[in-house]
Amino acid sequence: MQKTSQRLEWVQEFEAARKRPLHVHFNNAFIHTYKPVMDDASCRSFNTMREYREWCEEKLPKWLGYGKSL
Amino acid sequence: MEKAFSFRQAETLKKIFKKHHVKYLFIGKSGAILLGYSDTTQDADVFVKKDPDNTSRLVSALRELRFKLNPAIAKDVLQGKDFIQLRNGPFDMDLVFAPDGIENFEEAWKRHIDVQGFPVCHLDDIIHSKEKANRVKDRESLPRLKAFRDYWKKR
Repeated sequence: MQKTSQRLEWVQEFEAARKRPLHVHFNNAFIHTYKPVMDDASCRSFNTMREYREWCEEKLPKWLGYGKSL
Repeated sequence: MEKAFSFRQAETLKKIFKKHHVKYLFIGKSGAILLGYSDTTQDADVFVKKDPDNTSRLVSALRELRFKLNPAIAKDVLQGKDFIQLRNGPFDMDLVFAPDGIENFEEAWKRHIDVQGFPVCHLDDIIHSKEKANRVKDRESLPRLKAFRDYWKKR
């Protein structure tokens, strides 16, 4: 269970976001930063989600968080 | 070149997908953001109905959106491969045909939310899918996302 103070802080953030028009909220939310390996190909496809998850585990730096553990 | 997915681009996607009658839903954090969740993300996650007519329409729509689909990747989209990453267009997009934890498109569609014309997966589905994926980044984000669901359902 999250601490009450943490949840209150989150709710304040949700309230603040709710007051913004959708286009402002949206443009605040989408950012672009380079993700090593992930962004080094113009496109990739995977036959199954399992294949994709295995590729993430094997190929991506752990710190990106796409694996099951760090 | 600015690669962040902008609202203007989202509006264009909506218009072109509608024109081509593509059946899709925003999913993942991009879907949650459309529902009002305050956080950051990088790419548009789009859950597409796996159906030969729909994937054919999707290829046309993606080309109109200026994604550079070579014959091989166009074939993969037509086949509806489970997961396709596109980094060769005006913004980054992940096409998901079989998201974790969601039985099929039609069931998700029944529960979907319309946000100013954007079709978005229900927050319960977005959370369930992240729980099933169970990646480090999902486990880190789920407590706050669940707190948002509580807030969102009460408002």
